[in-house]
Amino acid sequence: MPTDVENWKSEVYGSEIRDHLFEFAERGFDSIPDDERDAWFERFKWWGLYHQRNGQEGYFMMRIGTPNGVLEPGQLRVVGEIADEYARGPGTNPIFGDAYADFTTRQSIQLHWIELSDVPAIFEKLEANGLSTQQACGDSWRNIVGNPVAGKDAQEVIDAWPVIRDLNETFKGNDDHSNLPRKWKVSVTGSADGSGQGDINDLAFEPAYKEVDGEDVVGFNVRVGGGLSRNEPRLARDIDVWVSPERVSDVAGGLSALFRDNGDREDRYNARIKFLVDEWGAERVRETLQEEYVDFDLHTAGRDVREEYTYNTGAGERNDLIGIHDQKDGTNFVGLNVLVGRMGAEDVLELADVAEEYGSGEVRLSQRQNVIVTDVPDDAIDDLLDEPILEHYSPSPSPFMRGSVACTGTEYCSLSIVETKNRQVRYARWLKENVELPDDVDQFHIHLSGCTASCAQPQIADVSLRGMKTRKDGEPVEALDVGLGGGLGAEPQFARWVTQRVPADEVPGAIANLIDTFAAEREEGESFRAFVARHDDDELDAFVDPEETDYDDPMMHNTKRTWYPYAEDDSLDSAPPAPADD
Amino acid sequence: MMADRLLRVNAYTTLDLVDGRARGHEFEADAPGVVNVTAPREDPEHVTLQVELDGTDTDALAPHADEIDLSPAQARTLGDALESTADRVEAARADSSADGDADR
Repeated sequence: MPTDVENWKSEVYGSEIRDHLFEFAERGFDSIPDDERDAWFERFKWWGLYHQRNGQEGYFMMRIGTPNGVLEPGQLRVVGEIADEYARGPGTNPIFGDAYADFTTRQSIQLHWIELSDVPAIFEKLEANGLSTQQACGDSWRNIVGNPVAGKDAQEVIDAWPVIRDLNETFKGNDDHSNLPRKWKVSVTGSADGSGQGDINDLAFEPAYKEVDGEDVVGFNVRVGGGLSRNEPRLARDIDVWVSPERVSDVAGGLSALFRDNGDREDRYNARIKFLVDEWGAERVRETLQEEYVDFDLHTAGRDVREEYTYNTGAGERNDLIGIHDQKDGTNFVGLNVLVGRMGAEDVLELADVAEEYGSGEVRLSQRQNVIVTDVPDDAIDDLLDEPILEHYSPSPSPFMRGSVACTGTEYCSLSIVETKNRQVRYARWLKENVELPDDVDQFHIHLSGCTASCAQPQIADVSLRGMKTRKDGEPVEALDVGLGGGLGAEPQFARWVTQRVPADEVPGAIANLIDTFAAEREEGESFRAFVARHDDDELDAFVDPEETDYDDPMMHNTKRTWYPYAEDDSLDSAPPAPADD
Repeated sequence: MMADRLLRVNAYTTLDLVDGRARGHEFEADAPGVVNVTAPREDPEHVTLQVELDGTDTDALAPHADEIDLSPAQARTLGDALESTADRVEAARADSSADGDADR
């Protein structure tokens, strides 16, 4: 028998949800019948809206899907204006203030405290400016990711941007592909740096050369079934297919249909295609694709460039896209660090001005929650670097600032069990002041996820932190499991979980001790990831060594039991009422 | 030997922090753990009680979770037993703190 969610989807799903959404917006949040809330909240996800957690009734997170993280000139300003006008609620964040935008690990944008009654006006403004929330969430094609500077990057093998645009246009709002057994995450990368992070996606296209009719042609190798969630991380499996750029859409559509028809609709926890690939094996996926879902002969895999991958590998150049880099047109792109991906609305607007003044007005978002200003001519670089906003959003930040990634956490998310974004800001600031990395180490990635759902991609960081609880001085406190040594590259590796339930206020001390040991015992030039790889779990557990320091954590209590962790009176009983229909 | 947790842990997990112990003929180790009660969303036939002790302090055992399938009647029997025993423990604690013998 299908699940509740499958039943709700069979009644109303896809594009038609919009009419209902607008009707509820018109009649007010309370017009959603109590016994239909779960069903409607599930459906609203298809239009990018997640109801916020317990205690924040009537408020929504809105996700704007920006394919490949591309914000065309003017679009960042629109995001800033919407954040400023609508992303305000009854809670004030002590670090980020009242209105802000979050840049996500899937190159999208999230806004909080959105009221249902404002949704039609927001949609109108987004759509008038070429932006959309459609399928940003829900069981369908999600925001397509890739190297954010596709089409501009001087290190590019093939321009993936037209391919991504075509996939987005073909499969967004496509009724044949709008109701899948589960989410469908696609990565298309044309650069040799691995910055599309294809290995952790349901479907990945990676640059590869193939001899076709005696000529070396650039196209994509295809991998299927990667993903991090459910304590069951998988790397995408090589299905031995190379495809030309012109045929990507056919292969992607074929695989999406294969998933639609064969994925598990009985059990949502077993629904992602990674589990189908486990069951079938890569060979059967390929055979089924060939026999039932495409009408041309598939090529075998071509020669890939995985050996050149550097993004999120923990060593070498370009572990992220921060800093000044060459574009192929002779101008530059400048990657700016947005700590934990959150930027105040005023800063968003100021950055939009800066991007317009020194570049083309375009910006792009990376999977490390950072923002990239593109099209900056050489002679404008110095003036851009002098802009005050770049002091805070730096192109040359501390390794602990640029290496920080965090999910939403208990501030808004109904899954998380610990506070994340503000905590990661506090961690990064403390580590920057108190911990020295060896001189030749300029990258250190720390990813903090509030639960096992893994939205901060914890398994692919040098230090992986994941929300738990422990007891300290007799009281239950927020804690983190610690994993080490994850990263992508030619030989991707998930973190090994070595220490459990470290009290959150002892984590900075634990990381400091770990780095001290690394600095003292590493071989010359050894990366942290390589250092971790040659030690066993018990040795690593001993290196972590939790310790109290002068780091102070004000959020040790059970923040999921508050209505908003930063409210003066944070108890669930003091939760504000759902916003009145205005 | 450490490994990733087997049970998902998020805000819907029944208990993310319990004190427990693993005991065998040749070993005994205290460890914190996770307890969860769940059932399939649709067409469930039984209640599943899941227990996973942290791997850190239990070298004697390979990382694992225990899962027990309970019929609805069994689940209720267990629930009743938990509740009545909780009453007894609470009553005993109230008595002992009235005697000025608080346990903390």
